[in-house]
Amino acid sequence: MMPSIGQIETIHMGKYILRRVLQSFIVILGVTLLSFLTIHLSGDPTYLFVSERASEQEIIETRAKLGFDRPLPEQYLTFLGKLVQGDFGNSLRSRKPAIELVLERLPATLELTFCAMIFSITLALPIGIISAIRRGTPVDGGVMLLAMFGQSMPSFWLGIMLLLFVGLQLRWLPISGHEPILSVMLEGNVGGAITALPEAIRYLILPSITIGVFSLSRNARLIRSSMLEVLNQDYIVTARSKGLNQRGVIFKHALKNAMLPVVTLLGLEFGFLLSGVVVTETVFSWPGVGRLVFNAITQRDIPVVQAAVVTFSFMFVLLNLLVDILYVQLDPRIRLS
Amino acid sequence: MVRKLSFLLIVVLLMTAVMPSLLSAQTPDDTTLVIAQSVDVAGLEPASVNSRAEANIFFHVFATLFEIADDGSLSPYLATAYSISEDGKEWTFTLNEGLTCHDGEALTAEDVAYSFDRAFDPANAFTGNTAGFVFPSIGFQGTRVEDDLNVTIITDRRQSENNRLALISEVYIHCKDSYAAMTLEEAAQNPIGSGPYRLVEWVPDDYILLEAVEGYTLRETAFKTHYWRVIPEASTRVAELIAGNVDVIANVPPDQQAAIDTSGVATVQAVAGTRRIYVGFQFGENFADAPGYEALQKTEVRVALQYAVDVPTICATLLGTQCERASSMVNPPNNNPDLAPYPYDPAKAEELLDAAGYPRNADGVRFETVLMGPRGRYLNDANVVQAIGQYLSDVGVKTTVDIREWADYRQLVGPKEVGPMFFLGTGGGTWSALYDMTDLSSPTAGTNYTNWQNEDWFALWNTLGDVTSPEEEREKINALLDIFYNDPPWLLLYFQPDFYGVSNRLDWTARRDEWIVIYNAKLK
Repeated sequence: MMPSIGQIETIHMGKYILRRVLQSFIVILGVTLLSFLTIHLSGDPTYLFVSERASEQEIIETRAKLGFDRPLPEQYLTFLGKLVQGDFGNSLRSRKPAIELVLERLPATLELTFCAMIFSITLALPIGIISAIRRGTPVDGGVMLLAMFGQSMPSFWLGIMLLLFVGLQLRWLPISGHEPILSVMLEGNVGGAITALPEAIRYLILPSITIGVFSLSRNARLIRSSMLEVLNQDYIVTARSKGLNQRGVIFKHALKNAMLPVVTLLGLEFGFLLSGVVVTETVFSWPGVGRLVFNAITQRDIPVVQAAVVTFSFMFVLLNLLVDILYVQLDPRIRLS
Repeated sequence: MVRKLSFLLIVVLLMTAVMPSLLSAQTPDDTTLVIAQSVDVAGLEPASVNSRAEANIFFHVFATLFEIADDGSLSPYLATAYSISEDGKEWTFTLNEGLTCHDGEALTAEDVAYSFDRAFDPANAFTGNTAGFVFPSIGFQGTRVEDDLNVTIITDRRQSENNRLALISEVYIHCKDSYAAMTLEEAAQNPIGSGPYRLVEWVPDDYILLEAVEGYTLRETAFKTHYWRVIPEASTRVAELIAGNVDVIANVPPDQQAAIDTSGVATVQAVAGTRRIYVGFQFGENFADAPGYEALQKTEVRVALQYAVDVPTICATLLGTQCERASSMVNPPNNNPDLAPYPYDPAKAEELLDAAGYPRNADGVRFETVLMGPRGRYLNDANVVQAIGQYLSDVGVKTTVDIREWADYRQLVGPKEVGPMFFLGTGGGTWSALYDMTDLSSPTAGTNYTNWQNEDWFALWNTLGDVTSPEEEREKINALLDIFYNDPPWLLLYFQPDFYGVSNRLDWTARRDEWIVIYNAKLK
């Protein structure tokens, strides 16, 4: 009996997902290899773990103790073997399990990234739509100029300007610091998290804006151009000729299709925002993974760097996998092809 | 239009109503002191001190046998007195009576011995100041408990009294029972100290909260709580200080000092630090093929270059303060008083270079070389290195500047792979000339980064263990510094100035040696 179209679609979807999972696995494996090699390319990390007055003998002993005297492939294989057990080793500086250090700071970074994404998407959507509808008007020109400005500003500069103006001059919001909510919630203290929410939001506003401005500007431009493309399609003309009002045309027909490329970008957006937290966390003294990784890199705390890089890449790949699957669900053309 | 304007008005009214309620209320009260450092501690293990930021915290949580004051003098702390054996190798300390650790455990001689032995135990694999520097420097061999109040530190050598006492005073004392019951991982998170403050909370990369120990009699404390915040970005630290949210900040950049001084809230305290900043001449043969290596092996050339760099101008323009040029590797007032700093005299530099056999060529260049330097470690380091390179080029030594990020640079300094000239700063002390001179304790010393091999120096250095009086020791120190001055392995620059931002509500003076000792700070 011939399979139905639905069954063929299901089989194709299964194959597609399987292929994407395999690709994701290869990507993660590649990331572990690259991060491992990159860290070792810049010299012998032993010297970071001995006193500046250490003798040659002490240096040799420390090198052996930390395993830096073993061949790189052996170090890498040992690393991979432990990685599959969730063991990245202990931080060379704090002696705590590296993955524990990453996971205890991850909630702070996710709070920041999540808020930056909300800031970016919720503002980019109306700005992009208005700009597309008012194409060629001063409103459109002004918005696009601001978007270009937003994309041009370095985040560290914007962050410092915000904290100096809003934090120091106006005294509206805290200059730096953090009030945890997600970690409190994960500890099971939901009531405590809700109580801390208003205070947490005060701390979140400036760093979220700092991280989110670039992606807000980019998304607004993307939504605008995507909307313009859709608004020129025949079916939109048809909808208009049938007497559908502007709101109906935009929200029922145009926006749904214009959002497809934006959805694709969301997965990448997460990775982009994560990469932006290093600078922002430093400027606002935000105790997240970005600063942890930055410090670990400068101190050559290899297990922590590896744990963070693998955790980030795993999250990034997983999110993109989900977005790809979601994209297939949203766009029947891809499902059928 | 009216509807739009009404909406806008409502938004503005709402903002006006809400914002005052959001106003930051972070200003510390009269019982709380807030200090901001740029880096966090890696852990709270008292036997593993790897940075000044860590030492600053540990010093308030853990007591030491003696305490080093800013002027280099040493005062009793946990110990009341000490005696030295005839051969100078055994030091017996007498403790105060009735000492306790923060958990209530009695602190006796056995605990002091345990603190030393635990830090020394290779099985614990501690790195950092205690195991990596203090113990090798004093030749630590072990301990002996004489009775409840007397403990002997056994070493393998005689040593200058002040130097050894200061080194021993860098070992943090804790109680045996509590630490023996913890794993190393647990101990690194749960410090049980013996100092004036106890740990309440550590939020990594955010803050450490300390609370004054009630009834602590060895030191007076004016503030009930200390917040040691971690604020890595200098501009943010300055903003928090000016906003009144922080009382003390370290490492104020020169370009932001005016903002603090004119704020009316805080002022900048500039101190002549103890860190020796210099340019090292590399003697290691692995640089034999490097440009300028051959010329720099000549004493005459190295002396000539001392006259080529205008150090006071570098300090005034790049470090934002006046500074006196160093005349030796030893911090004042322990240096040789007969040695005058080399003056800036480019004509003399050129004259000496001519005499050394390196006249200017047709293109004006005597020889070419490379000056390596770090970025992000010392005050305005990269710019200072650039300036030095230009000064050297001005006298005909065409200098290519090679600046690396500190993390990468540090990797090269340890194995002595920097040269043929390199910029560096090494920590020093106020209590002993020998402490500063330990950099060159042997031709193969880890801190002899230049691979300097002057036989006179090392021959004289090896006789220091035989000295029988402070006067004799001083004589030898001066002779050593003479050798250093006349056959310089370093291009002597300056002692790094340090800048602290201090709230006007606070009565506290910054120290020269980069320690933030603040238990004695008071409100004005």
